[in-house]
Amino acid sequence: MIWFSALVLIPLAAVVVTAIDGGWDVFWTTITNGQTAAAIKLTVFTAAGVTAVNVVMGPLIAWVLVRDRFWGKSVLEVLIDIPFALPTIVAGLVLLSLYGTDSPIGIDIANQRPAVFLAFLFVTLPFVVRMVQPVLEELELDVEEAAASLGASRFTTFRRIILPSLTPAITAGAALSFARGVSEYGSLVLLSGNLPFKTEVTSVRILSSIENDNVAGAAAVATVLLAISLAVIVVLDLIQRRVAARG
Amino acid sequence: MADTLIRPPADAPPPVEERRRPPRVRKTPVTYLLRFIVTAYLFFLVAWPVSLVVTHTFDNGWESIRSLLEDPDMVVALQLSAYVAVWSVLINTVFGVGMSLLLVRYEFPGKRLLNSLLDLPLSVSPIVVGLALVLVYGGRNGWFGPTLAGWGFDVIFSTPGIIMATTFVALPLMIRELVPVLEEIGIEQEQAAQSLGASGFQRFVRITLPSIKWGITYGVVLTLARSLGEFGAVKVVSGNVLGQTRTATLAVEEKYLNFDQQGAYATAFLLAMVSVACIVVVGIIRPKNNH
Amino acid sequence: MSIEVTGLNKKFGDFVALDDVNVTIPTGQLTALLGPSGGGKSTLLRIIAGLEKADTGSVTIEGVEATHLPAQKRNVGFVFQHYAVFKHMTVAKNVAFGLEIRKRPKDEIEHRVQELLKLVHLSQFAHRLPSQLSGGQRQRMALARALAVEPSVLLLDEPFGALDAKVRKELRDWLRRLHDDVHVTTVFVTHDQEEALEVADEIVVINEGRVEQVGTPDQLYDEPANDFVMSFLGEVTHLGGVSLRPHDIELEASPQLAGSVEGTVSRMVRIGFEVRLTVLTVDGDEVSVVVTRAHARAHGIEEGSTVWLTPAAGATVVPRMAAAV
Repeated sequence: MIWFSALVLIPLAAVVVTAIDGGWDVFWTTITNGQTAAAIKLTVFTAAGVTAVNVVMGPLIAWVLVRDRFWGKSVLEVLIDIPFALPTIVAGLVLLSLYGTDSPIGIDIANQRPAVFLAFLFVTLPFVVRMVQPVLEELELDVEEAAASLGASRFTTFRRIILPSLTPAITAGAALSFARGVSEYGSLVLLSGNLPFKTEVTSVRILSSIENDNVAGAAAVATVLLAISLAVIVVLDLIQRRVAARG
Repeated sequence: MADTLIRPPADAPPPVEERRRPPRVRKTPVTYLLRFIVTAYLFFLVAWPVSLVVTHTFDNGWESIRSLLEDPDMVVALQLSAYVAVWSVLINTVFGVGMSLLLVRYEFPGKRLLNSLLDLPLSVSPIVVGLALVLVYGGRNGWFGPTLAGWGFDVIFSTPGIIMATTFVALPLMIRELVPVLEEIGIEQEQAAQSLGASGFQRFVRITLPSIKWGITYGVVLTLARSLGEFGAVKVVSGNVLGQTRTATLAVEEKYLNFDQQGAYATAFLLAMVSVACIVVVGIIRPKNNH
Repeated sequence: MSIEVTGLNKKFGDFVALDDVNVTIPTGQLTALLGPSGGGKSTLLRIIAGLEKADTGSVTIEGVEATHLPAQKRNVGFVFQHYAVFKHMTVAKNVAFGLEIRKRPKDEIEHRVQELLKLVHLSQFAHRLPSQLSGGQRQRMALARALAVEPSVLLLDEPFGALDAKVRKELRDWLRRLHDDVHVTTVFVTHDQEEALEVADEIVVINEGRVEQVGTPDQLYDEPANDFVMSFLGEVTHLGGVSLRPHDIELEASPQLAGSVEGTVSRMVRIGFEVRLTVLTVDGDEVSVVVTRAHARAHGIEEGSTVWLTPAAGATVVPRMAAAV
């Protein structure tokens, strides 16, 4: 407990305290500062967009991994985990090699907004897939057969039976994916160029404040990110409770 | 658990026929379409870029790896990364087991809150983590930093800070592995051991530890991968002093920005190898785990 | 005739699940498919429902050729061993599902759901989630859900298999009474001979993918076609050259009947009103005999007593086969 407090809680509390120290006005001016606001906006919107893609692609990938059988499926399984295991800075480099200046397919999005999107897409890939997969595996075939024998077509079965069972997992995965996107830093360093007003994300903004010794400013922006993280955790907790009630 | 209601009674014969029935895979055009979309998506997003890093590394054969390993600064960086990762794994294993037992076996006020907060390190930006540690342990004006510095113990801009940052970000991994395992094994076995006269320590070593060993192994591998790869938080707390507090991940950035692409790719390749190895190890362990 | 199954074959890899099965299931009756686990009875039921495809053979339901119809179009009600509840829907929604698929008007659905929930005694649970129900209640809900679409046949796959003994017995009685009210052609799979004998109008005994015998419970019990059916439907012992039931043996303390076999009581267990004896005969057979407590006492039988055994008049007797189950 003490260890957890010393390592996690006290430092995080320090961030909030430092942010508040300067008073509400300073806090507000900092986060509404043009460059910072642009960074926050870019981060949140891109993370939301990426999450939307994941909400569609994640269940799709999970579906193929669980229900389909084909040669090379185990390779796909490994591919899903790579973004999670890969150091973020390496992830940035990896993406740069295909979508950067030396792109073998002629797509160069380095230092542009799509690069931020791509980086987020890469690092958040596993979340929805890995949340949905076990739920899909545990879905009893019985239940689908029951729906079929009651006259439901395959599409209706999917929409009325399978999808609602997956919704909590998808939402949880989406929340995690959003949180991860918002807080992403490492993969962007090389890929996005961190151009103010264009490709600079919140984490980068905090870092430059730290480097300029503007600790209060950094803490203010960090508090915004912390609040988002906390919100995500609350969402996850609510989902878990609801699922537990469903049994 | 609510499931006890639907669990078949012990005397019910096993549903043999059900098990013999192979899972039905109905192949429709949709099946192939989905398979194609998913494969293509993963190919463009993950497989191709990753493979490019590998080919770039070996553009000149083993040359770039060799020159990397001959660079003394790089060797120090790799050693530092390994050193930090080992410490982070050790700390997270010991405290992870402790915290998991605490969370599963004991009731205390604020347990739910603690349980939720445990996920924070996974969803907080690494930069924020770094900032938080600097604010508390910073040598000049952190909360505890000056005191510790007074004792001759520098945290920020030195190795302990890097270890702390790394431990912080990898903290939930072990606990999230162990809690479900501990919940599943329950306490009956331990109570049985207790009734046979085993002391608390004996129960832990002879009953609990063996039953969670796979969970621990899995947690160690994940923690290791995460620790080796941590970048943002380390960047903030390390100061990135060449040959002293520069880790391998920091070296990748620096090399790339200094137009040493070969070096950057080679370092990235080494790190990627470790993380892919971790995934493969986990993949091998997992099936054994749920027999 | 409601369900006609002809020349059905089904293999899972090398395993022969059904081997040229021909069965006719009469309309309006409660028929049991009885047999040991892995004997193919569930597979037969699933093929009738359209949840599994036969390799060869055909299925006709109510005169409609159904062999190639998908499950959705067969209008059968199917009840699963593990309930297959829709976890995210309330009890009422579960029951309404089939009707909603059929796009029935709202008030009709509501009315029908209420009616069915009343039938299965779950009215007060209409707005609960299935996870708040016991196993027996979930299975009753599943039954209401299957009945809601007014299926031409109702198929139940080991419906009480996952329930504990007491609930199983209650539900069994209840299913019999329900069937007497509703009269839908019902087929249920079970491996429990007592369940089949008690509930079914007709029993189809299936073993190793083949139909061993079809008949009423009495026919099966009194005139088993072979040793397998006989031993599957109840306890069997061997006396002389025949197989017969332990309670169909006359036991005397002195040789009074012609053809009686002498033996010694080696073990004696009393269970309530009945006494189970193991008798070692002079022929070297180990025979199980069941007599009433009063009978045993009247003849002063105890362990070590010498007794004489005779098949009772009217006993079901089948010539003994080499490898009895």
